[in-house]
Amino acid sequence: MTLDIIIENSPTFILAIPLLFAFLTAVLGWVSEKIGEILFGIGLALTVFFVGVMSFEVLTAESWFYVFGAESPSPENITSFFRITFIADGFAVLATITISITAVAAGIYSYSFMKDESGLNKFYTLFLLTLAGVNGMVLTGDLFNLFVWFEVTSVASCALIAFKNYRGRSVEAALKYMVLSTVGGLVVLFSIGLLYGQHGVLNYALLREGIAGSFTFLDKLALGLLAVVFAMKASSVPMHMWAPDAYGEAPGSVTPFIAVTSLGSLFVLFRLFFGVFSVGLDVAILGSLLIVLGALSMIVGVSMALVQSDLKRLIAYLSVSQVGYMMTAIGVGLATLRSGEGFGDLAMQGGLFHMLNDGVYKALLFLSAVAVIHTTDIRSLNDLGGLAHKMPYTTFFFLFGALSIAGIPPTSGFSSKLLIYKSVYLYSPILAIIALVVSIITFAIVAKAFFNAFLGPDQSLMKRRISKPMLWGMGILTVVLIVFTLFPNVVVAEIVDPAVEGLIGSLEGVLP
Amino acid sequence: MSWDTVFMIMPYLTVVILLSIGLYAVLFKKNLIKIIMGIAIMQNGTNLFLVSLAYRDGYYAPIFTGAESTEMVMPTPHALTLTSIVIGLATTALLLSFTMMIKKHYNSINTEDMRRCKE
Repeated sequence: MTLDIIIENSPTFILAIPLLFAFLTAVLGWVSEKIGEILFGIGLALTVFFVGVMSFEVLTAESWFYVFGAESPSPENITSFFRITFIADGFAVLATITISITAVAAGIYSYSFMKDESGLNKFYTLFLLTLAGVNGMVLTGDLFNLFVWFEVTSVASCALIAFKNYRGRSVEAALKYMVLSTVGGLVVLFSIGLLYGQHGVLNYALLREGIAGSFTFLDKLALGLLAVVFAMKASSVPMHMWAPDAYGEAPGSVTPFIAVTSLGSLFVLFRLFFGVFSVGLDVAILGSLLIVLGALSMIVGVSMALVQSDLKRLIAYLSVSQVGYMMTAIGVGLATLRSGEGFGDLAMQGGLFHMLNDGVYKALLFLSAVAVIHTTDIRSLNDLGGLAHKMPYTTFFFLFGALSIAGIPPTSGFSSKLLIYKSVYLYSPILAIIALVVSIITFAIVAKAFFNAFLGPDQSLMKRRISKPMLWGMGILTVVLIVFTLFPNVVVAEIVDPAVEGLIGSLEGVLP
Repeated sequence: MSWDTVFMIMPYLTVVILLSIGLYAVLFKKNLIKIIMGIAIMQNGTNLFLVSLAYRDGYYAPIFTGAESTEMVMPTPHALTLTSIVIGLATTALLLSFTMMIKKHYNSINTEDMRRCKE
């Protein structure tokens, strides 16, 4: 009985718990920082526990709409429906799992990495708020709720980026990102107004019905504005300018977490395209939009990474180009939606599996790069060298992440990229060639970075040692990546396939 | 053009003007304070847009006590506007505090001096 209630309400707990603990950490952290630290740990663990509960229920039993407030009218007989809904389906599960893995690793890493900073209870508060915001963004089934979580994520993650406010560059990066996010948030609100003014609803499922009935010029305008904002937050080219600054200047331990908030925006973009707008506009046009943005991101991201000498900025540009892979793959899936072509599903499998992979190996790369910067205080690849002698574990972690991001067999990065190459080739060979070439250049870049930083004679650059929690944080990610590498078929069948199903179908058939 | 039409168009015209002024300030001004003012003006424009959408001529406020008919205005956009005002306060405060720190570190609030990240 109690168990049923917990399972039924798990989507709320995923948001309520980090919000509650963010508050508690801020208040009780005044008493002693130790308490704040412990509360942060408990909050993070409980959130992950409820993500697990929700995932288990969705993956083994069925997905459901979680409705806040009164029991009637239930979502089954909606005529006018104003309450907030959450969608607990395979897609939301994939998204929350990706976020949770990164959050746990970044959280554990933070314990020792941030030790020397002051005001840590506020850091933990901001961390938990960002976690709640990004989980809310991917779970919600309601446009206005989306706007609220969007802003929660923006404010909290910008404050996190500027956390080391004694560094001017951190504040500069945060300010740039904040201006973009705020204007973006207003554009989202404006397009919500446009959609609400015409269809009188905010719920995704009802909006889908409304758009299927009449798709006007104003709807197209709203679609364009929403697409631009969420592509911007997902750091897609040509709106990627904030990403290298923000990833490069954020406190090291939360860099992967900031990167995951942009993945969250990408999840939302896909949800809106598939769930809401695919019934109005021709799917081929919508798909091509994603494909063009994706191909541009791949090319521009990797060519900018080529000329970077700063380790963190290099990985930031590589992550921009990885976003391109997902957009291209999902774009192909969208363009062939409902056409009966088999490779559309394959492309979506590849794209979503790549998102899961990307969240993990990007985090691993960022965290090991931060470990290098933390021990040596050097960011430039030209000055690094010979670290493998003193940092064997970090060397292994970086190498593993590098091989995954380049898609070298047998890593899981290869499994997902292979799915993408195969399916995208059938849609358009040029795209597959671009994807392959970008992969090869990525390999060259990470190989250069690895050789420069880790190989060669020992130059005694180490100023301090890496503490245990930092290694554990990276270790968790490596274990997850090894699991993905060993059992890609199981991961695809158990996690990715339900996500594809959820993305395509979860909003269909909700209404009578 | 009758006065009725003018009154119908007026709020939307104001929205367009406010959004244009705000966007102009964000895109073309170099002073951080002016950019933040532009964002605040855009926020007000968006809020006004939502409120104007919600207006229905001759309908009642959605308060059941004492309403003469059940033809009431939908309160959703007003709820949205209130939320958005609160969020606007938070973002403006955060932006201004960033500006204070920028001034402390760079001794300037000109966006052209904010190039250190790329070095």
